Amino acid sequence: MAKIVVDPITRIEGHLRIEAELSDGKIADAWASGTMFRGIEKILQGRDPRDAWFWTQRFCGVCTTVHSIASIRAVEDALKIKIPPNAQLIRNIIIGIQNTQDHVIHFYHLHALDWVDITSGLKADPVKTAQLAASISDWPNNSATYFKGVQDKIKAFVASGRLGPFANAYWGHPAYRLPPEANLMATAHYLEALEWQKDVIKIHAILGSKNPHPQTFLVGGMSIPIDPDSQNALNADKLMEIRRLLKKSQDFVEKVYVPDLLAVASFYKDWAAIGAGVGNYMCYSEFPDANGKPWLPGGAILNRDITRVVAIDQKKITEHVDHSWYEDAGGKGLHPFDGETKPNYTGPKPPYEHLDTDKKYSWVKAPRYEEKAMEVGPLSRVLVAYVSGHPETKAVVDMVLKKLDVGPAALFSTLGRTGARGIDCLLIARQTTKWLDELIGNISKGDYRIHSGELWDPATWPAEANGYGWHEAPRGGLGHWIKIKDQKILNYQAVVPSTWNASPRDAKGQRGPYEAALVGTPIADASKPLEILRTIHSFDPCLACAVH
Amino acid sequence: MPNQPKFKRYVWQLPVRWCHWTNALSIVVLCVTGFFIGTPISFGGSPSDFTMGWIRFFHFTAAYAFTVSLASRVLWSLIGNEFSGWRAFFPFFSAKGRDKMLKMLRYYLFLDREVPETIGHNPLATTAYLALFFLYMVMIATGFALYAQHAPHGVMHAALGFMYTLFSNQGMRLTHHLSMWFIVGFAINHIYSAWLMDIKEHGGEISSMFSGYKFTVKKED
Amino acid sequence: MGKKRADAARGRQAEDLEERHYSVGELLKERGVSRRSFLKFCSTVTAALALPASLAPSVARALDQVQRPPLVWLEFQGCTGDSEALLRSANPTVGEIVLDILSVDYHETIMAAAGHQAEAALDKTIADNKGKYFCVIEGSIPMKDGGVYGCVGGKSHLERARQVCGSAAATIAIGTCASYGGIAAASPNPTGAVGVKEAVPGATVINLPGCPCNADNLTATIVHYLVFGKIPALDGHGRPLFAYGKRIHDNCERRPHFDAGQYVEHWGDDGHRGGFCLYKMGCKGPATFHNCPTQRYNGKTSWPVAAGHPCAGCSEPSFWDTMSPMYRRLPNVPGFGIEHSADMIGLGLAAGTAGAFAVHGALNALRKDKEPANRDENKEG
Ligand code: HEM
Ligand code: HEM
Ligand code: NFV
Ligand code: SF4
Ligand code: SF4
Ligand code: F3S
Ligand SMILES: [Mg+2]
Repeated sequence: MAKIVVDPITRIEGHLRIEAELSDGKIADAWASGTMFRGIEKILQGRDPRDAWFWTQRFCGVCTTVHSIASIRAVEDALKIKIPPNAQLIRNIIIGIQNTQDHVIHFYHLHALDWVDITSGLKADPVKTAQLAASISDWPNNSATYFKGVQDKIKAFVASGRLGPFANAYWGHPAYRLPPEANLMATAHYLEALEWQKDVIKIHAILGSKNPHPQTFLVGGMSIPIDPDSQNALNADKLMEIRRLLKKSQDFVEKVYVPDLLAVASFYKDWAAIGAGVGNYMCYSEFPDANGKPWLPGGAILNRDITRVVAIDQKKITEHVDHSWYEDAGGKGLHPFDGETKPNYTGPKPPYEHLDTDKKYSWVKAPRYEEKAMEVGPLSRVLVAYVSGHPETKAVVDMVLKKLDVGPAALFSTLGRTGARGIDCLLIARQTTKWLDELIGNISKGDYRIHSGELWDPATWPAEANGYGWHEAPRGGLGHWIKIKDQKILNYQAVVPSTWNASPRDAKGQRGPYEAALVGTPIADASKPLEILRTIHSFDPCLACAVH
Repeated sequence: MPNQPKFKRYVWQLPVRWCHWTNALSIVVLCVTGFFIGTPISFGGSPSDFTMGWIRFFHFTAAYAFTVSLASRVLWSLIGNEFSGWRAFFPFFSAKGRDKMLKMLRYYLFLDREVPETIGHNPLATTAYLALFFLYMVMIATGFALYAQHAPHGVMHAALGFMYTLFSNQGMRLTHHLSMWFIVGFAINHIYSAWLMDIKEHGGEISSMFSGYKFTVKKED
Repeated sequence: MGKKRADAARGRQAEDLEERHYSVGELLKERGVSRRSFLKFCSTVTAALALPASLAPSVARALDQVQRPPLVWLEFQGCTGDSEALLRSANPTVGEIVLDILSVDYHETIMAAAGHQAEAALDKTIADNKGKYFCVIEGSIPMKDGGVYGCVGGKSHLERARQVCGSAAATIAIGTCASYGGIAAASPNPTGAVGVKEAVPGATVINLPGCPCNADNLTATIVHYLVFGKIPALDGHGRPLFAYGKRIHDNCERRPHFDAGQYVEHWGDDGHRGGFCLYKMGCKGPATFHNCPTQRYNGKTSWPVAAGHPCAGCSEPSFWDTMSPMYRRLPNVPGFGIEHSADMIGLGLAAGTAGAFAVHGALNALRKDKEPANRDENKEG
């Protein structure tokens, strides 16, 4: 059988290659390969554990805060450091806006063009577009003049004959199904979201100097000082600016993102039966309060059994390299504390046409929980919370299912994954303001603490310490494991959301979630595999994260 | 030889002594201020204070004094008397020099009881001075390269900027910082030896660096 | 297999869309961008370029005349942080850059096409615009083992870099990875990662380091080229002087506290809250050339020191190795563990010397030497 190859998979982070076998217009089998390796886990060895967050942050510039969070949590766990409540709340706000912004960028700029045909929007009637928009949301930018303006802009752009990043796409593909007005509306919001994201992410700049790669984390707390009477610290002015931006963030999610998502989804309901994946979903829990109690619950759902959530234990995580370009660890998976990163490329010499998918074929390792492949991400987060009876989640999920007129089983799909991201985004966008309120409450009580410094000096540390840090990143459950010896990093291993999802096969030949989700996907035109993009993009891949 | 009366002899010309004490003083200032630059204490009471500012100012002033003094000494080694000449700093190139070095070393290591006598520099010391001279060069090169960074468009940076392409910025700082400790180490050694030889040689070692006169048995041994 | 089809698709597009050549100014007008906001953009860029405000009209004139020049953006061993920085750019915004100012013909993170259609778009731009397009590179290039540590479309990063940079008008290495190898090149550099200039020595490369690069510096560099028709003046590390010509420490708003002798001693202490100097917390501002304090990030909102964290020196070559550990001012002394700072070693050395001579002195007092004769103060030799 001839394999089709999609490389590069664009509109993702990093370098992902998909090879797939077709049969009867459907994907019979698929392989996901991460094609870039840096070896940062290795580079970290021997360095100061307090610096690790700054290094691991560079795993990825898209989910730019998440590795910092997981890293400082791992070191704090190893050294048993408890951080002050304000630091916890500031971290929650940073995580919250990271999730919100990342999801919106994903939907509009990385995923939308799989469903939205920009060129069809040129034929739309701006008046009808305005009516459509008004029927789903009371967003102020809903006038016919506004949509006409956007349409003119795109027309002029197309007329210039230079399509730039929009050239050579699958425009006009039969799988595009939106009416011209919906296409124009989504295109307008594509541009609006670009403006919006750069504004709301200024919260990271206020709390942490810049984005991407905010510079504000510390083992033991945060480095942004709090003092209402200082111009060099978090003061009323800055807190109010954060509040304004959070409001802006929440408004856009409520009035643009979620309505657009539901509108688009209603045209693609057949995708609620495509792209299910491995059927196991895992979430680590997130947003601890001052006592460490998480707002979003953790756990796992196995075999699509939504009657119960299974408790999880970090000891049961292993990573396999049977199909990954690393030295074999004796055919068995290693727990991250004992994990190794010893590159050993055995693939074809570049330039190459095909990978040898029977052997090793990816730089991504294959993480397994109790030897099972697990899907992580917004869908897992939402499922675990929904089944656990998390009240806020339950309300939103039920609303969405009702609006689309589908049952919970629809969530196990490409569309479900894309929908769950919107739900996740909405929940977090709403909650983030509450952490800000709590922070302001603390400050008005005179609590300015941002850092616990007792164990800052490495001389105060035990000779050896091990710890791990878990975090729910936009793309799902992230874990960092650290072994410290003589004040230095002895071993550092990260098992990242996209490592779980982009995982190649393991020793038993079990597919990873991308691979499993592709099997069965219909392909209308093998030379324009738009459908592959839809399912793969529904995971929001990040390959720099996955391999690191 | 022993019990023969000694003669007073003019050894250290004025420029040698002048340079020596300028160097010594500026190095003390450079070490103290340099150490503070490296590990400052929060002395400042208000932002309008200038604690670090003044300390850096003294460091740079001393740096210039030191550099000029060193340059003068190098010049003098070409035109001054035989004791200050540059040849004295390479004793290991002559058989006699090597022999004297060995004697000195044996004395220091308690292997020999006879105190070697020298009119000019003692050859073991000059070897140390040569190493010290190298340290001086390192300090001046790294110091001025660091100094030039405040004006990257200036002449000094144009002349020394190449060092940044060769070494990292921080490597240069670390070298400058660490070398201070080597100089401190030398100074301890040096002052001790001067004191020791002053007692042992009966040649007026220390006072010679003030007066220029040493006491010796004959013209040259 | 798909090559023919892709060509056909391209043919159709070309038929549909009659080629017209617009200048940036005209395009903006057509797109409903007012002259006033165009001029505002020009003066912002003029400021970013550290040019006198009086030059803003000539920036506008130059942009009025140039056609959207093609730009291809290749990511290699990177983290996409620099692409994300581009998405956050404020003046001009990424929307303006993509739609109005440049023709961004290839950028894997944002482009609609995928797979071989994406590769075809790249090939076309290179073939049609030899010597005229810009190339931006993000991420380092792995040189070890035949470049197997980074491939796209089955081709190694090195091969692509040679192909694309070779015939570009200029290549911009964006971020510290592309400029100098960055994090992947940190010791022990498992993949043999290097910067663009080292991988493709013949190419005209402008380095815009920073982790990530400040997008303002990218747009200013491009505008500089469009306005003056040549690349900006570079320093010894290949960085434009307009953005990397001064030390952070010499432009830092906390400098008065440095000079005064007021330092943050502990996180969250009075000095930290009061904006004191972060020197003792490990700030590398005194060793780093970058315009962070003046240009700032995210629409001039802030920069690391303003948020109470020391500068990590992210725009300097091999800063990952030379500027770490992050919370110590000086690097570790090679060969000693991280618990040994330079001063501890130095103090040890000095104390050791002093100790040795104290012992020597004591032994001397005990021994009986053959000392030379006493002096006669009156005889001259
Ligand atoms: C014996 C000679 C010298 C000694 C012992 C000395 C010592 C030091 C020390 C310990 C530091 C602190 C380094 C750090 O931790 O970052 C320093 C800094 C410095 N020294 Fe020197 N130094 C000497 C000569 C010079 C000379 C000749 C110059 C030339 C101008 C110079 C210029 C500087 C500069 C510019 C700095 C950095 C100041 C700053 O960052 O504010 N030094 N010196
Ligand atoms: C109490 C302080 C000091 C005393 C009593 C002292 C004494 C002397 C004496 C007696 C000599 C001539 C001996 C010979 O060359 O064999 C000499 C030379 C020298 N001393 Fe010192 N010294 C002092 C401090 C320093 C310091 C702090 C330094 C530098 C770190 C220094 C560097 C030198 C050098 C380089 C020479 C060779 C002089 C030349 O040929 O120009 N001295 N010193
Ligand atoms: N996968 C992944 Fe990340 C996320 N979210 C990190 O942990 O994207 Ni860059
Ligand atoms: S320079 Fe920094 S931001 Fe840019 S790719 Fe490298 S690690 Fe990422
Ligand atoms: S905070 Fe850093 S850059 Fe600013 S004055 Fe202090 S040492 Fe210099
Ligand atoms: S860390 Fe980088 S962003 Fe600027 S302040 Fe320092 S150069
Ligand atoms: Mg890993």
